[in-house]
Amino acid sequence: MAAVDPRHARGNPDLPRAGSLATSPGLPGSLVWLLVALLLVSPVGQASDKATLRVLSWGGAYERAQQQALFAPFSAATGRPVEVMQYAGGIDELRRAEAEGEVPWDIIDMTKSDAMAACHEGLLQPLAPSLLAPSPEGTPPIQDFLPGSLSRCAITHSLFATVVAYRTDAFPGRRPTSIDDLFDAQRFPGPRALKRSAAANMEWALLAYDVPHQELYRLLSTRRGLRLALDRLGELPDIRWWQDGQTPVELLTSGAVVMASGYNGRFFDAMVNAEAPIEILWDGQVQEHETWVIPRGAPNPDAARKFLRFATSTERQAELARHIPYGPARRSASLRVTEHPESGADMRLHIPTHPLNAQRVVIKDEAWYAGTHERIQAFFEAWLADREAD
Amino acid sequence: MLRFLGLVLFGALIGGAAGLLSTAFVSAVLWLNDWLLISPRSRMMFDHPGVLMAATLLVPATGGLVVGLLHRAIPEQRPHTPADVIAAVQTRAGRLPARAGGLSALSAIVSLGSGASVGQYGPLVHLGATLGSLGARLLRLGRSDDNITIACGVASAIACAFNAPLAGIVFAHEVVLRHYALRAFAPVAAAAIVGHVIATNVLERGALFHVGDTVLPRPWEFAAFLVIGALGALVAGGYMRAILATGQLANRLPVPRELRPAMAGALLGLVALQVPDILGMGQETLRFATIAGAFGAGELVLVLVLKLLATALCLGMGFSGGVFSPALVIGTLFGALCGSLVAQLSGAQLDTFVFYAVCGMVAVTAPVIGAPLTTLLIVFELTGSYALTTAALASVTLASPIAAQLFGRSLFDIQLERRGLDLSAGRGRALLRRTAVAELKSSDCVTLPPGTTVGDAIFALGQARHGEAFLVDDHGHYVGCVSLAELEAARENGEHRKRLGDIPESPRPRLSPATSLWDAMAELQEVSGEALPLVDEQGRLLGVVTETSIARAYLQSSEELRREEHGSG
Repeated sequence: MAAVDPRHARGNPDLPRAGSLATSPGLPGSLVWLLVALLLVSPVGQASDKATLRVLSWGGAYERAQQQALFAPFSAATGRPVEVMQYAGGIDELRRAEAEGEVPWDIIDMTKSDAMAACHEGLLQPLAPSLLAPSPEGTPPIQDFLPGSLSRCAITHSLFATVVAYRTDAFPGRRPTSIDDLFDAQRFPGPRALKRSAAANMEWALLAYDVPHQELYRLLSTRRGLRLALDRLGELPDIRWWQDGQTPVELLTSGAVVMASGYNGRFFDAMVNAEAPIEILWDGQVQEHETWVIPRGAPNPDAARKFLRFATSTERQAELARHIPYGPARRSASLRVTEHPESGADMRLHIPTHPLNAQRVVIKDEAWYAGTHERIQAFFEAWLADREAD
Repeated sequence: MLRFLGLVLFGALIGGAAGLLSTAFVSAVLWLNDWLLISPRSRMMFDHPGVLMAATLLVPATGGLVVGLLHRAIPEQRPHTPADVIAAVQTRAGRLPARAGGLSALSAIVSLGSGASVGQYGPLVHLGATLGSLGARLLRLGRSDDNITIACGVASAIACAFNAPLAGIVFAHEVVLRHYALRAFAPVAAAAIVGHVIATNVLERGALFHVGDTVLPRPWEFAAFLVIGALGALVAGGYMRAILATGQLANRLPVPRELRPAMAGALLGLVALQVPDILGMGQETLRFATIAGAFGAGELVLVLVLKLLATALCLGMGFSGGVFSPALVIGTLFGALCGSLVAQLSGAQLDTFVFYAVCGMVAVTAPVIGAPLTTLLIVFELTGSYALTTAALASVTLASPIAAQLFGRSLFDIQLERRGLDLSAGRGRALLRRTAVAELKSSDCVTLPPGTTVGDAIFALGQARHGEAFLVDDHGHYVGCVSLAELEAARENGEHRKRLGDIPESPRPRLSPATSLWDAMAELQEVSGEALPLVDEQGRLLGVVTETSIARAYLQSSEELRREEHGSG
């Protein structure tokens, strides 16, 4: 596999950044947990003979949810303190740390495309599926995890999705039910907000031609496929292109557009916490994997493996999905997800991997994007320049 | 009963082995296509235009070279195809050589893997059949059972490769066995089911085509589908003719046989630089052809013609592969062309475009493989759409009979006819034509030198209790034949001492060692007597063939076929 384009490998775009966190309601409970966790991990805390497990994760609401569902319970169960550090994706730091022989992390939360690149460069330890716990029913991990979750050096724990959301008040008497409706400006008139990127838009355009999801990337590998996809996009009269993940949420909640693509976590936030009149169209959701990896030079690899087994258990995955709308990678966990502890919202309606939402999903082909992203994006930008020139 | 159940179980075993081999075959081709930069996905992911161009030129040519060298090890110097399977089953010769079969499969993997414009289903069918034949040989089964195990391998290969078990079963009966005996049905069905299970659990593949909503064609459109069928038969004919003609042309080229595929590969690569759609099996092209607007009308014609020529070139010049997948692509392009024309004429945006594409597809493929029912079932099993299947039915209604009238039952049958096996009147005739009458030779007859007198001859015949004598001269040459009735008539005329050579004899047809049972039966319509003389090329009498033995052999052959084709267990 070719090296990952750094722009593409910016990391997990679904994560609400620190800026938006402070404004999210329902924080006090999490803050308490955070304090508890800080006490647990602080070096002057309780004297533990066990070395601290050092985790590298994304920060923000995501890390807070992990703290509640994973880190604190792990410390409670094993007596091993957990220290969490933050990063914004990418593998440059890991590469440098491995080169210097001073790796400060035992386990890293990484996007699958980064994990694939890091694995290719030999920066990660191989992970055997035997490391993982079976489901409570006894289903072996290989069957319980969604396809593509178990790779050589990375175990997918959650999936997030790029979806289309729409205003429930925009189309009296009807609702979009299929991704085709994104392109149907007759039945569903009004401006759309789409990401200024080929990714997801091209997949949806081909789905609207009835191309089965298994063939999307094969067809997008031809000039003809790319042109067809852009033709379909070009039929939309009014598109607002966004680049920052929060923009589509704002455009949609303000009523500036009637449909918008975006990350399911952000739309969840607007729907549940801000009670905006929007709904997610799950048809055609483009899923991406979020994985755990263990660096080759991790100081405590055994502890990291113990944590990995703990954090990917059915029970912990289901618990994590109650706090943040990430789809558990285990089928058994998706079925066990219950309500959001703060708002009481039924989280099954909000996680990408629940069977109700996952009837027609596109699994983002990370390997394909790793090799083609720049050229596809250039092709897309050229088309956009043409369109805007007209 | 127990024996029959054993055969069903054995069919399932053959099915399992054929299914696994098919899976391995398909995976190997996909892997090679990715690795050799043939598949669009690998070409898009590979970011070095110069290397890509070189690969496009070199990979098919190099693949052709390997294929040519592999074929040198096959006695016939050519890959074995489903036509060989049909011949083996229809003539009840049964045995398919394992070595040639394995080499053909290997050269097909190389052909397909290096981007030759050929199909994969033909080689899979032959691979399954070879496996079935091998199994029958291992268990020392008889001819009829051998045919059934061959059909089992075929059914499983189709069931697995298409993930269409019903089509696999029907194909085995419709194309290979050409009868629907219950005795064959059960083992074949068992094999197809096993193949299907393997396909659904090991091979993860999307449907070949997909139909979104429940749009139904308007009533008048069925007329259009019928016409597409009729025209599709002509396209199919052109396709078959092109393949056969290239083959003949290739034989006249002053190029060694093993170098011809490499030549074809080089030419293919050169054209593919401009029109990459012609490389490989063309699954992407097939899909695009079902989408309205993916091709312009001019582009459709160009790709259709180039794909047809590319396939004829590859197959005619000796690449190993099938005719089915390219026919699917050509037919779908043709259907798309018809759809675009209808849309232009009717001036409306056609939401039934995919129907036209599929109708064109079956109209071209069904005549090529001589299997209208199989083609329909493939459409049904792959799409699960009843509306689409009925549209395809309308199209195939005219396509198959028109093509059969104009060109022949299928490309396989035409190829076999050119090799001297005419299946147009069914296997009964073909079988009788393949049985040499020499097998029935008997020496139980009276031979006399022409100098014998009538009286002596009557005595000799009476002694031997025969009704006719064959006259043989000193050199063993056959001179003629006299019957006891003629001799008695001569004696009554007072020609008691006349020599046999001087009696006017009634002409009697002679059989040669090459005469077939079918021709001998035809001769019998003209004569009545005991036996016909079997005479070699130098005119020497080798023996006689009695009329009763000819009739018995004829009845026995018919009886065997009847039992095989109508047996229930």
